[in-house]
Amino acid sequence: MRLSSINDKLFDLQYARIILIFIFLLQITGCSKPNIREFKQMPVPEDAHVFSQTLGKTGGIFIQSEAGELATLNPLVASDASSGAAIGLLLGALTSYDWVKGEVIPGLAKSWDIGKDQKTFTFHLRKGVFWSDGAPFSADDIIFSYECYYDDRFPNRTKFFLTIEGEPCKIEKLDDYTVRIISPVVYAPFLSFVAGVSILPKHKLQNAFNEGTLLKEWSISTAKNNPEDIISLGPCVLHSYRPGERIVYARNPNYYVIDKNTTRLPYIDYIIAKMVSDTNTMTVVFAQGQTDSETIRPGDVAWVNRSSQTHDFRIIDRGPSSSRTFIWFNLNPGKNADGKPYVDPHKSKWFNNQKFRQAISYGIDRNGIVEGVLFGRGAPQYSSVSIANKKWHNPNIKKYPYNPKYARELLISEGYFYNNKNELFDSDNNRISFKLQTNKENDIRTEMATVFKENMYALGIEVILQFVDFNTLVMKISDSFEYEASLLGLTSGSGEPASGMDVYSSGGRMHMWHPQQKEPATKWEARIDELMKSQLTTLNVDERKRYYFEVQEIMAEQQPFIHLVTPNLYSGIKNKWQNVNVPTLGGLLWNIDEFWSIEK
Amino acid sequence: MISFIIRRLFTLIPLLIGMTLLVFLLMSLAPGDFLTPIKQQRDISEEYIIELEKQFGLDKPFFQQYFIWLKNVLTFDFGYSWTYKVPVTELLGNRILATFLLSFSSITFAWVIAIPLGVLAAIYQNSIFDRLSASLAYAALSIPEFFLAIVAIYVAARTGWFPIGGFTSIDYEFMNAPSKFLDIISHLILPTLVIGIGSIASIMRIMRANFLDVIRAEYVMTARAKGVKEGYIMFKHVLRNAINPLISSFGFALSALLSGSLLVEIVMNYPGLGQLIYQSLLREDQFVVIAAIMMSCTLLVLGNLMADIILAWSDPRIRLEQKN
Repeated sequence: MRLSSINDKLFDLQYARIILIFIFLLQITGCSKPNIREFKQMPVPEDAHVFSQTLGKTGGIFIQSEAGELATLNPLVASDASSGAAIGLLLGALTSYDWVKGEVIPGLAKSWDIGKDQKTFTFHLRKGVFWSDGAPFSADDIIFSYECYYDDRFPNRTKFFLTIEGEPCKIEKLDDYTVRIISPVVYAPFLSFVAGVSILPKHKLQNAFNEGTLLKEWSISTAKNNPEDIISLGPCVLHSYRPGERIVYARNPNYYVIDKNTTRLPYIDYIIAKMVSDTNTMTVVFAQGQTDSETIRPGDVAWVNRSSQTHDFRIIDRGPSSSRTFIWFNLNPGKNADGKPYVDPHKSKWFNNQKFRQAISYGIDRNGIVEGVLFGRGAPQYSSVSIANKKWHNPNIKKYPYNPKYARELLISEGYFYNNKNELFDSDNNRISFKLQTNKENDIRTEMATVFKENMYALGIEVILQFVDFNTLVMKISDSFEYEASLLGLTSGSGEPASGMDVYSSGGRMHMWHPQQKEPATKWEARIDELMKSQLTTLNVDERKRYYFEVQEIMAEQQPFIHLVTPNLYSGIKNKWQNVNVPTLGGLLWNIDEFWSIEK
Repeated sequence: MISFIIRRLFTLIPLLIGMTLLVFLLMSLAPGDFLTPIKQQRDISEEYIIELEKQFGLDKPFFQQYFIWLKNVLTFDFGYSWTYKVPVTELLGNRILATFLLSFSSITFAWVIAIPLGVLAAIYQNSIFDRLSASLAYAALSIPEFFLAIVAIYVAARTGWFPIGGFTSIDYEFMNAPSKFLDIISHLILPTLVIGIGSIASIMRIMRANFLDVIRAEYVMTARAKGVKEGYIMFKHVLRNAINPLISSFGFALSALLSGSLLVEIVMNYPGLGQLIYQSLLREDQFVVIAAIMMSCTLLVLGNLMADIILAWSDPRIRLEQKN
């Protein structure tokens, strides 16, 4: 089985190569007279952010593929990655995030003070900053934005980041350039969550706010027909948008960042995001030199690299990525509406046995998965926090190296026994057999599931694979709960422990093995709840680390998630781009405003 | 005539109600709904999903959703897209031009080429030309559209004569008006050929068969006996009579105008309605799918109506009032 999956992969590669020959370079002919709108360039702000990297030259066009269709440019509506990325280029927030250092840095606020109670944050805004249309930016915009997010007429995602223990933050304007925000309790990720609150222009959206039509503003219709109505504080302005084709961003002439020569950033003239609906095509397009940067999947690195000379790009090996794949058993003891248990009671007994889960974990050949599925471009994963997350990863947790012999001993010591055909039975003479589901759209997952089945076969356990579509899978995990085991993956963005709340806490929706518990079902889950709460309510990083490390130890000991492997992360970028700062987590283009091209 | 048109349009109403009810039913039977994928995103809170569910009416049973939708439609409110938060009509409107251009050019292309070819094949029946055109037509009919599309992309890539997919070039925004126009035309050529070739074959074969039927009619012999010129007989008598079935098939062509290029649009990355509808269907963006289906259903009825009217105009023997 494993061999055949490798053959499939090879076939895929061949196929990709054929497409590669098929689809050629779209001739990017010289851009004659751009018909760009005129912007009023305002004076350089008094409090401009002066960046300290290598000075660059202005000019150049940066082309990238965008996986999804743009859904909206309204931060109150956006819930998908493509829209989020677009809004990130256009709008700004009080704070920002440095992905290389892994810390919160000033954004629209040049600095902030934290009160003695650790709940009061006073933000000092940059003076003399202008919106791209020339209107001045002030504390009123901040107050207006927070009002929008808190307004019940406009349900949005951001509101729930800003609602702490069910209470909103208090926000007040001290003067035109000072804002105070008081959090209801001490809240560790406060500053990094503030970085996610895009600031909206009061002078532009006040009417829509009053009329209650704010959610209809800044839609893709606005983007297509009146791009000039969408104004920005971020590095770019929207130049034009063609549905299903591309978004063109131009430099924001009033961006608040300058270099030491007082040249306004960004250096890049235009950023073009092409909509390419298929990830294979995105890779091919990059390999053909049509785009400037792309994330390359481990299986594609080798062949993409072959054209790196011709098209002058390099592929950066960024080490283990933040995405991890894991298997878990349904530990939910509940019953459905007809009184039938979600999981057969005798199977539920196996799954709820910690030693059983540990034995399974010992029985998985993780290095085999790395070799067979990821072509050696990955690493075994044992922790619930990715190795890439250097700040928060606990390296000293219990690990489960491949040891089928020990796994069998462990099972036997728990009362399981083998018959003469090497089949495993429990003490009540039930054959150990379970169904494992994963989504069929993701071939890496289905291949991993296949390897897992083989590994379990060696332990005398029968695994029946079910490949279903993603929606069906999600319904089973989060609504009907009628499944036995599942294989899925998660990626963690900034790796901030607070974003793991809904996974680790027993009441969380993403506490997949037994979600939304009223009371923690086990002692170790109760302990995790306690630790997660403690790490959330202190600003002391060392203290938070201690709590979070213990969470990881418990997760490793209990194995509610049996982690498999993490693929390495590869990013390709053309060599002409300078100031590329590669972070271990997050996107390569996080500081695209500082990029500049040595080509002319 | 007018009463005929009105009667025809009235048949649209039960048809649309039946169709949309069926679509609502099928979409409610499909696993999950629009919000299912969001539920698996870790940073979206429970409360937000519940609020959205309420806002979209997804917490109600499907027939209740249907009646709310129907009530809105009576006030010409077709709902808005959940993904894009834009009225459905506006969303379709943004895409319609590209698809319409493509369909229009491919239908024109097919008809302009196919009818003369069919006529020639009939006039020179059993000649080498006839045999050759027949075998080419069979070949064209048996190749699926999407495959032709891939071949077209390959050809474009190897020769560099045509752009590879898409509607405009990447530097379109920076062009002046004439180059913009040329850019769109050059992007149209390949998809037009791909969609057109299949229909050329079928239209040509139908045209040839009809023409052969009519050519054997007694009035043609009479005309020849009277000494009417051959060319005049062919175009004035035979063609006028032979083209009727094709005019009927025009009705179907109109309904395919906005939905027929779906596969080609996806393969050739052409940003038209097809792509949008396909994506909406996958995402279960209900109102977009329903509006699209209503649109092609209406076009089908309108197309047939127009075909009947043209038929009456082209063939004086047909009387609409009596026929129906």
